[in-house]
Amino acid sequence: MLHACDLEEGRCYAYCPRTPTDLEQLRQALYDPKDLTPELGPFKGLYVTRAADESTRSSAQHGGTVTALVKLALEEGLLDTAVLTEESERFLPQGVSVSDPLGVVRASKSKFVTSPNVAAFNEAAKGGFEKIGVVATPCQALALAKMRLKPEPAKDNHIDKLSLVVGLFCGWALSWRDLARLLKGKADEDSIVGMDIPPSKYECMEVYTTNGTITIPLEEVLPSVKEGCQYCFDMTAEFSDLSVGSARVPEGWDAAKGWNQVIVRSRAGQELLDLARSKGVLEFRDLPEGNLEKLKTASMNKKKFCVAALVKKSGSSENLLYLDPQDPVLSRFIN
Amino acid sequence: MSVLLDGKEGMEYMAMGNEAIARGALEAGVKVASGYPGTPSSEIIERLADVAKEADIYVEWSVNEKVAAEVAAAASFAELRSLASMKQVGVNVASDFLLHLAISGTRGGMVLVTCEDPAAHSSTNEGDSRGYAKMMEFPLLEPGDFQEAKDMTKWAFELSEEIRNLVMLRSVTRMSHASGNVTFGRLPKVEAQAHYHFSGSMLDPDKGPVMSYGFKHAQQQQKLKKAAEIFEDSPFNTYQGPEKPELLIITCSVGNLYCKEAINLLGLEDRVGLLKLGTTWPLPPRLLKKHLSMTGEILIVEEILPFMEENVKVLAAEMAQEIGIKKFYGKHSGQIPSIGELSPDIVIQALVDLLDVGYETVPKEYAEKAGAAAFARAPNRQLTFCPGCPHRASFWSIHNALELDGRQGFVCGDIGCYGMAVLPTGFSTTKTGHAMGSGAGVASGFAKLRQFGMDQPVMAVCGDSTFFHAIVPALVNAVHHKSSFTLVVLDNSGTAMTGFQSHPGLTVNAMKDESPALDIAEICRSMGAKVEVRDPFDLKETQEALNDLMEYQEGAKVLVLKQPCALSPEKKAEKKYNMRVDQEICLGEDCGCNKLCTRIFRCPGLIWDMEKKAARIDEVICAGCGVCADICPSGAIVREEA
Repeated sequence: MLHACDLEEGRCYAYCPRTPTDLEQLRQALYDPKDLTPELGPFKGLYVTRAADESTRSSAQHGGTVTALVKLALEEGLLDTAVLTEESERFLPQGVSVSDPLGVVRASKSKFVTSPNVAAFNEAAKGGFEKIGVVATPCQALALAKMRLKPEPAKDNHIDKLSLVVGLFCGWALSWRDLARLLKGKADEDSIVGMDIPPSKYECMEVYTTNGTITIPLEEVLPSVKEGCQYCFDMTAEFSDLSVGSARVPEGWDAAKGWNQVIVRSRAGQELLDLARSKGVLEFRDLPEGNLEKLKTASMNKKKFCVAALVKKSGSSENLLYLDPQDPVLSRFIN
Repeated sequence: MSVLLDGKEGMEYMAMGNEAIARGALEAGVKVASGYPGTPSSEIIERLADVAKEADIYVEWSVNEKVAAEVAAAASFAELRSLASMKQVGVNVASDFLLHLAISGTRGGMVLVTCEDPAAHSSTNEGDSRGYAKMMEFPLLEPGDFQEAKDMTKWAFELSEEIRNLVMLRSVTRMSHASGNVTFGRLPKVEAQAHYHFSGSMLDPDKGPVMSYGFKHAQQQQKLKKAAEIFEDSPFNTYQGPEKPELLIITCSVGNLYCKEAINLLGLEDRVGLLKLGTTWPLPPRLLKKHLSMTGEILIVEEILPFMEENVKVLAAEMAQEIGIKKFYGKHSGQIPSIGELSPDIVIQALVDLLDVGYETVPKEYAEKAGAAAFARAPNRQLTFCPGCPHRASFWSIHNALELDGRQGFVCGDIGCYGMAVLPTGFSTTKTGHAMGSGAGVASGFAKLRQFGMDQPVMAVCGDSTFFHAIVPALVNAVHHKSSFTLVVLDNSGTAMTGFQSHPGLTVNAMKDESPALDIAEICRSMGAKVEVRDPFDLKETQEALNDLMEYQEGAKVLVLKQPCALSPEKKAEKKYNMRVDQEICLGEDCGCNKLCTRIFRCPGLIWDMEKKAARIDEVICAGCGVCADICPSGAIVREEA
């Protein structure tokens, strides 16, 4: 906390993704109850896509789907600004509000450190934008969902200006300071052009530099994961309109890198994806067999680890700290 | 034209103690005066600077007290009369030179004026510097009223010339800053001719090189003995009372006024004798013997340490065979406190206890009423920075930068208004606080503790005047030893706390002459420090610079935060912005940060509207700096160009 707080439930407390949260209430209130699944949250469909525009793809982490969707939403006037994440000095990301569709590409590629995008949303809302989209990690999407459900005080409510949440699949994020420390001596920071975590069997982080790829074993990386991430139940950003992550394709990882998987969760998400299809902004390929199951398994594993970590922290299987042990999804992991 | 120069001989003038001292110096024909500002001493140099051109004297605000003493000493060596002025803590700074000066001796009369602060109203301590006179073996004078402040100053120059050594004149807050009637003496016409003679032998006080050497110690002690002899007949040592008092009070300085009032109020003129000493070191033994012989019981009244009390007791022990065993009362026996200021009531209480007289100093009922009345109309406010003070903005950013950094970083504080940053007004940001310049020195040390596992970021703060006074050596040390900390120079364009006296960073000197200004940022860069300059009113830029320096830069780093003091002459009463709170936007009682503006930021210009239950600007005291507009999470505080 920046300053001593004397409120039991103040502004930060109300919306923090790690303060007590009734997930089921959020799911029921914000999504069509028919779409709710235990494994992936609200679910209307899973797709494998990539940006049709090759230059968008070439500057993107994988298939460029997020860049293409946000750009399209701005071009079509569905949004008047989008809160994205740009990297500034030494991997330190920051939330930026981008209104020019051509500016979206600058914010492409994954960041492995979280940025204050909810604050950037609030700034954009105060700045006069009326239709705001946010590209959010699962924790940021949860905070925004909490704001939608508990918009108080009414005088300071900007959440109605939230028009679209594009969620990002996320396993964990790194401490910015630890990441810098991790990379020090391994790669000249000016030469780094990107990073990625390949599928779990590789057990490593890849750092792409102008001099080639550096591989760092995952066991060296994991101590730098932020503590809060081990208490996260959400791999696929369940509280978004659509969620995007890396794809798995039968041809292997090198081919998969050129594609994304998209979960559509809400009507707004479906409409945007349909628009992208009809406008030819996205290319689609058939969903490989087994992809949905694999995704469900991975998602459930994260929930399982989360519950175990919370039980360990609280010392009681009846106490999940910020989550409800009676939650219909999470309760199945409590012994 | 100043009355200090214009006032003719015989004129009676109600002078502040410091003005009386300045007039005394003028009546002595002082030619050079130097000092470093510090409450309660500053007006001496200020008043002399006012008349410097007309009186043909040279006056300067020196970079620090040691240099002030050295500048004044040079004039003395060249046979001019000179004065160095400082507050009690400044004597510590000057002490290195003073110890040498006391051995080397002086030529033209040289007076060191120390104005001290019992109760530490305007200081971080109430150090009693009289001990230096004893330790360094030079005479000490303490005026007991305002007339004496003038007369004794004048005489101090004569005494200095007679013994060829420095004389220390000590005032206190209630002497320097109170006022009383003073009858002026004659102002001499002095045709000064400065020349430094050095061709004689080392022991020749008039023509030899002026140097501090151990073999001159005997000569130095002879000077002190001569002073004691002169003091035996000094008119500044006075006695009033019966020949055989029941109780003898020995006092000095403002204790004289309190004792007189106490004796008068209790009607004890026939029972109590009052020996007021103006020459408190060395004590004149025959004078003491005469008065100690009058009675068996003695009460010693002085402020802070039992300096005079212990010296009198040594003399009394030496004379015990002749004057008998005495019963002493004072600080050791508990009648007189050894902290804080004295008052007539304290002396009255001591006399009531010792002489069994009935007197209620302050009736309880009156004290309660007066206490309640004092609080009734005062705003309920803690000690705080002024509205529009750049320090509030600076410490907001420093505090936030350290909290965002998240490694339990801290700030080593220093001396100035920003000393208040240890309090909520500075968001309780500073965690150490000692002498001028010590913030940087201590930070330089903290930052070398990494090898012992300390990874907390370290910052230090200092003012612009303090930078020149004492920071430079600490920063040099830090750069040379690769000590990695961030020094924040809170540059408010003046020695603000003591009244905007000039310093080497400004373009005018004490005499209002144009002077070359030294650039703090460039000095630091030339040392090899990484330097950034920001406006502290730009909270975002300042905070980013702090985090950047803390995170990325190794070695000594300096952030100069430039913004003139809200009370500075160029800013005073001029608002840059008209501020207002949009009470429609202000969340009032629903503020999710529970009134960050009035609960944490706490500028006195921001108040809580009890009726509308929302924040409001107090337009009378708001300085229009505009900073609060950037701290409201809801953007309810509006800044409009004035």
